[in-house]
Amino acid sequence: MARDEALLLGDSPAALRLYNWAPHAVSLGYFQRLQDFDDVPPGTSIVRRLTGGGAIHHGEEVTFALALDADLLPASVDASYGLLHDAIVRAVASIGVLCTRLEHGPPPGARPKDRWCFAVPGRHDIVDRNGRKLCGSAQRRLRTSRGPRVLHHGSLVIERPSLTPFVAAIVDMAPIPSLPELRRRLAAELAAALSMNLEPSTLRSTEAEVAETLRRTRYEDQAFTATR
Amino acid sequence: MRPNDRSYLKSHEWCKIDGDVATIGISDYAVSHLSDLVFLDLPNKGTNVTAGESFGEIESVKAVSDIYSPVSGDVLEVNKDLPDNLEWLSEDPFGKAWMLKVRVSGKSADLMSGTAYDAHCAAEG
Repeated sequence: MARDEALLLGDSPAALRLYNWAPHAVSLGYFQRLQDFDDVPPGTSIVRRLTGGGAIHHGEEVTFALALDADLLPASVDASYGLLHDAIVRAVASIGVLCTRLEHGPPPGARPKDRWCFAVPGRHDIVDRNGRKLCGSAQRRLRTSRGPRVLHHGSLVIERPSLTPFVAAIVDMAPIPSLPELRRRLAAELAAALSMNLEPSTLRSTEAEVAETLRRTRYEDQAFTATR
Repeated sequence: MRPNDRSYLKSHEWCKIDGDVATIGISDYAVSHLSDLVFLDLPNKGTNVTAGESFGEIESVKAVSDIYSPVSGDVLEVNKDLPDNLEWLSEDPFGKAWMLKVRVSGKSADLMSGTAYDAHCAAEG
């Protein structure tokens, strides 16, 4: 989370970070209340995201953070989801998984009924043929010295996590070529959707310093996790 | 055509200044581009806001966005009913959905007229 925020605050016009979770953990949406997750098994790490939406139990999945200048995306939040989710659908289809983006439908209901991101698919969500959600996503939009910026988080489920067994999972639909290959295809489709070229990179030293500070002062700070 | 009796920021907040008190809110353009608002967090009365800096956060179903202050000063009043009535932001963004009243000690240098803001929105698409 700290590295994602550091990329959002950084000066790359666009950066894509792909990662996974060890150990598996729960991330809360920015405005969710920690007390609504008292039933999460003891010992499970819980972190608060900068992005909105519902909570996610991150198990075996492909997680990505896309931090970029807002003007590289369509102006409306709705349209930006359409662009990015269509790219994810193409990447997943390339390994033989049939899924679709819901173009219509109601938005998810108000919390706390839908405390899990994957519980109720809504407009623009990616679902399998049974209507179960395959990819969770959320955004943060703010202004930095570069101007308006967007952080888009995505979680593409490989295997169903124990706390949210109602989700769709790629392993149920197709053999996975390999996780690095799936990540490569996802990155390629996202870059193509943005008309950008991918350049492999690591965090810049300034970004790494910001990430380290955010890790200590925010994401590992129980006071931040329990803010609400 | 948006109201010309107030000023706007590129980030889509408006402020209407009467004497030394500014009423602050967000525009119809911001509301329509966020869509499906679900949560609003505003500062408490008595806190201080700074021109150009975030004073609150708003969540739509798919995004959390910061709200930036057009002016600096102490918060005199907060629209406490707004977080429980977010539909007001769609129905009356320039009236009933005001967010803060602030005693003005300074203004953002980037404020623009309603006419200029209309052009900015048209350019953003």
